[in-house]
Amino acid sequence: MATLPGNYEVSGFSGAEVPALPSRALIWVIASFALLLVPQWDRLPVWLIASCVALAGWRWLAQSGRVRLPGKWTRTAIMLGVIAIYVATVQGRFTVDTAASFFVLAVGLKWLETRSTRDFYVLFFILVYLATVNFLFHQEIHWAALNLLAVGFLLVGLQTLNAPDLPESMRSGWGRLGMMLLKTLPVVVLLFLFFPRVAPLWSVPLVSGEARSGISDTMRPGDISNLAQSSERAFRATFGGELPAYRDRYWRGLILDYLDGETWRQGQGEPFRRPGRVSVDGGVGNLTPGQYDVLMEPTDERWAFVLEDSVAVSNNVVPTDEGLFRFRRPADTTVRYRMELQGGDSENAVAEDPQTLRRYLQLPGSGNPRARALAEEMKADNPTPEALVGALMSRFRQQAYYYTLRPPTMPQDGIDALLFDEKRGFCAHYAGATTFLLRAAGIPARVIVGYQGGDPGAGNEYLVVRQYDAHAWVEAWIEGQGWVRVDPTAAIAPDRIESGLRDAVAEEGSFLENDWASPQRYGNMAVLQWASLQLDRINYQWQRWVVGYQGQSQMDLMSRLPGGFGLKELGYATAGIVGFALLVAGGFSSWQMRSSTSRDPVMRLIRRWYRLCERAGIPVRFGETPAQLAERIGSASPRAGGAARAFARMVNKHYYGSEPRADQRQSREKMGRLLITMRKQMLRDTSESGETATHRH
Amino acid sequence: MFQALRSRWQRWVNRRIPRADKQVFSQRNIFILPTGPGVVFGLLLLVMLITGINYQNSLIYLLTFMLGAIMVAAMHQTHRNLADLELTLVQAGEGFCGDRIPFRFRAVSGKHDAVAISLSFDEHTLSQQHVPAGQAGDLVLSAESPQRGYFRPDRVRVETRFPFGLLKAWSWVRPASFGIAYPRPVPAPDAMSTVSDGDDQETARAIDGNDHADMRPWREGDLAQRVLWKRFARTGQMVIADWEGEQGSPHWIDYHAFPGVDQELRISYLTALVIERGQTGTPFGLNLPGQVIDPDAGPAHVNRCLKSLAVFGLDKPRDDSTSAFGSRAQTDGTTVIGEVG
Repeated sequence: MATLPGNYEVSGFSGAEVPALPSRALIWVIASFALLLVPQWDRLPVWLIASCVALAGWRWLAQSGRVRLPGKWTRTAIMLGVIAIYVATVQGRFTVDTAASFFVLAVGLKWLETRSTRDFYVLFFILVYLATVNFLFHQEIHWAALNLLAVGFLLVGLQTLNAPDLPESMRSGWGRLGMMLLKTLPVVVLLFLFFPRVAPLWSVPLVSGEARSGISDTMRPGDISNLAQSSERAFRATFGGELPAYRDRYWRGLILDYLDGETWRQGQGEPFRRPGRVSVDGGVGNLTPGQYDVLMEPTDERWAFVLEDSVAVSNNVVPTDEGLFRFRRPADTTVRYRMELQGGDSENAVAEDPQTLRRYLQLPGSGNPRARALAEEMKADNPTPEALVGALMSRFRQQAYYYTLRPPTMPQDGIDALLFDEKRGFCAHYAGATTFLLRAAGIPARVIVGYQGGDPGAGNEYLVVRQYDAHAWVEAWIEGQGWVRVDPTAAIAPDRIESGLRDAVAEEGSFLENDWASPQRYGNMAVLQWASLQLDRINYQWQRWVVGYQGQSQMDLMSRLPGGFGLKELGYATAGIVGFALLVAGGFSSWQMRSSTSRDPVMRLIRRWYRLCERAGIPVRFGETPAQLAERIGSASPRAGGAARAFARMVNKHYYGSEPRADQRQSREKMGRLLITMRKQMLRDTSESGETATHRH
Repeated sequence: MFQALRSRWQRWVNRRIPRADKQVFSQRNIFILPTGPGVVFGLLLLVMLITGINYQNSLIYLLTFMLGAIMVAAMHQTHRNLADLELTLVQAGEGFCGDRIPFRFRAVSGKHDAVAISLSFDEHTLSQQHVPAGQAGDLVLSAESPQRGYFRPDRVRVETRFPFGLLKAWSWVRPASFGIAYPRPVPAPDAMSTVSDGDDQETARAIDGNDHADMRPWREGDLAQRVLWKRFARTGQMVIADWEGEQGSPHWIDYHAFPGVDQELRISYLTALVIERGQTGTPFGLNLPGQVIDPDAGPAHVNRCLKSLAVFGLDKPRDDSTSAFGSRAQTDGTTVIGEVG
């Protein structure tokens, strides 16, 4: 008879069958993937999210049997297509951002070939790492909770995968996971505190290479007014002493000294430096009165924003020649740094050499003729630079200049149009125009970009500076005084400098007009404002104590403990914690075993008896009565027979007789003694039989 | 070297797990190791830790520690799945060799649920059974025996990977009781069949011919009825008349009906004949060297004959320490919670 050789499988061409993975496990993984995509929503390109949703949907439909999974060729085609788009968009950049996109892509593609348990685990591993990477993008408490929830989904999914037909798998899965977390919580906390936070082992790619919203290193007249529509947080600052007055909160970021047509740029571009390692030092210990900490949101730039007349305390910022501060590594994640305010203007008095000053007189060859004429005129009227600056400020103050978030467009000779025709502009317009005039009048000047202001957070513990606090102003070089701040906005709209943008544009009603969701927009609603501040405060504490618990802060905490803990001691401590935890777990489980097997004290005695027999080479048979066992003991070891029979009788009496409760304790003691006798007798018997055996040889 | 280590390990395990139909799992005999995914997960944790260190990210540390701790907790949980579980072989099965022979185990769990327990022997697996805390259930594992005779799975592996599949805890049961594998039936060349095929008529007549009986001296195991007593009275010699086919009335299935045939094949022939008689319901007796089963009919009789054929010429293998067959082998009252089909 002819038979077909082996199993005859038809696959590869005509689409594969619906796989046998349990749906209930799969849905958890899909849900977890959806959760993990949320923190990346703003980062990921639309096409990627769309294809992930489509592919996951396809997989789910295939699971319920409504469609088939694609065959090999379709799958390869989809894979090549999506990867081609990815490669085209990434363009060879290598950052965590692009890597994360790749993970998302890989998970998306993996949906089409998730058939076996093994594929399920591959998905599990990628998604856990995706959760890890998400922590690099967002560290706020709610994002952290979301990430952990997604990992929880995965772990419940794994339980379902491993016992698909267990009743009430969801409830018991969460219950089991919760118990595990609860039991291990102390160990996790101790590890978190004591695990030595070593310095970075090597330099890693930046988290993101994409430009973020925030201050940029060029300034066109309309730029900062766009930023003013955003209430995103730029940084928070905590002061050791008194908060500086609102009008003194000038956070310098960068200097724009080169006018290119209508655009202000940095004359000397930032020198290229390798990203370097992530810095560990953000300053430790309590703040002294002059010091302040800045907790800055990621900008992917090196700029640090500091108040005027500050010097660096922490090691992760370095001063530049122009009196600015730069991070050693671009701020790709939240970064904390510490500065100290210097009394007096010692730094400003630094003499600049004429060569450098000439840089601050640069102007384009032509354009804005009326402004140049005005500058000549004012220079003739005011011989000293101080007088000239004063005259200019008076002009701004006295003439009908308006500060507005809705400036008209001034395409041709913008500075002329602003100064003489429109007279309506935002800080960037006025700062640019002022610098132009000063330079045209022969006074070295430069545009400073940064933030001005900052509102106190809940409990007045810290200042929150938001993107709408972005500001541009001017510094002019005055012989003998050094660089002097000149802020035309202060002359035109004093409210902006005294109390912030909200008040400055209150009449216009343009504050955050495009940002419906921002709580800052609804400044008049006290409850909302309060809630938003409280949330920010929770996040601030989270950032400070949990997210910010790093090398230096760990050392700081350890130095307060007795014993002088260093990194090495922390390593020992960690090993100790892990060992101790394992020991406790092991001890606990063995105690539990023991207590669960025999709460009955007589049962414990019987078990001892059995162990004794096994050791003496008399195996206990299943279903044997105590009397039968005693007989066999008697035949194997005649001396122990008497004690064994007595013991068996007592067991029977205990279980089947009517023994008064009061006597039970006594009889148990007697049984214990019998066991000891039995062991001695057995030992004597075996040693004697051993001796006879040796004698015979 | 590897082989030596392996056998050492084997001996060590055998010492830990004595041959017995009943096995209670505890720390003494539960082994636990990470699975393939578990090892990968360990590496992933390491990669996560390095990521956390290099980006100085506390939350990644936190996630790593949480997952690491959960892995340890899972170790406890996986161990607890097996711990306190009592597994007893309550019925060792019977069946033809080459077929699946069922072995019925009674599982009684202790204080904790025994979740996702699987039994396996060679490549036969009974997967994913749950025994809730304090309850009992029957698990039926089927196995194939390559040859007839006494048969038992040498080591039945009991394994669980619950909850996460990252760790596996396992142990073994080494049953003491034997099942029986009946010989593989091979259709006999129509020795005593009442049906005669045209082709085989010549041979059939040669064997079947009751006119020429073989005379041979008596030897141990021959039936008393076969001795030619008249001849004994005359000559004093015990002589046997080997009637091939018992006068054409095939009440007897006889070992000697196939002279010259290899023993195993002979047994297979006899097995086929027994099955055939059993199916038609005709009474028959079985004549084996050293054992005679008187003619009878019915399933119990067929079963008895098959058993005798199965163990014909074989000794029951002896163990260093045997325990009695589970005496509480009542099978009703509990539900079968898993069976390999």
